[in-house]
Amino acid sequence: MKTMETRTPERPPPPRRLASGLDPRRRGAGSWAFVLSRITGLGLVVYLYVHLGVLSLLARGPESWDSFIDVVRSKPFLALDVVVIAGWLVHALNGIRVTLANFSFGARVQKAMFSVAMVVAAVLLVIMSVLIFEGS
Amino acid sequence: MIETRERASRHSWTWFVQAFTGVMLLILLSLHMIAQHFIVEGGLREYADIVDYLRNPVILVLEGLFLVTVAIHALLGVRAVIFDFGLSERSERRVSLSLLWLGIATVAYGAWIIWLVAV
Repeated sequence: MKTMETRTPERPPPPRRLASGLDPRRRGAGSWAFVLSRITGLGLVVYLYVHLGVLSLLARGPESWDSFIDVVRSKPFLALDVVVIAGWLVHALNGIRVTLANFSFGARVQKAMFSVAMVVAAVLLVIMSVLIFEGS
Repeated sequence: MIETRERASRHSWTWFVQAFTGVMLLILLSLHMIAQHFIVEGGLREYADIVDYLRNPVILVLEGLFLVTVAIHALLGVRAVIFDFGLSERSERRVSLSLLWLGIATVAYGAWIIWLVAV
């Protein structure tokens, strides 16, 4: 109904709420790729420093290290390894896509490349997870 | 915001370094994982195996290079995330300097551990 329309075209749009930026329906593949890259990147930085911190046990001698290794061979720790590998695969494969696009390789098919990268990441994650749990 | 030419050039230079270290990491991380999990049967887990592994000069160089490369790549990534919040040039310089020192400390700490175990 025309009577419902009260806003004039000149009036600026209302400010977007913060929550609207978190609405997944507003994000395209490129935006998801960017967000995933940032989240996995920051997660991997945290892992790097945790890993370096854990390696300090090597400086305390064989007893400290070997008893720690017995703990990390448990299934919950192996599941954390799978999470780290998932983050690494997503970050690395997406990084390859971004680097290729910046050098003008496949810039026009970026969305398809992102989908392929995520499928490859999923397949590699399944293979690596099987190897991790079979080898434990 | 209009970027100064110097600022734009700095951003493109750091982007190139991050892409280069990213490609290097694909190679170095693959070598790191192969060496850690496939050279010794059942993976490199026991303390004595790790000492033997790090006493190999080729491995020592590869692990050292891996440490430097991963520190550069990680901290340039953190820098890019922080810069996305839209800082002033002065704040950007402070962040860059802080991350540079953190990178130096990270590499020094990692080198110290390698040194303690290998030597």
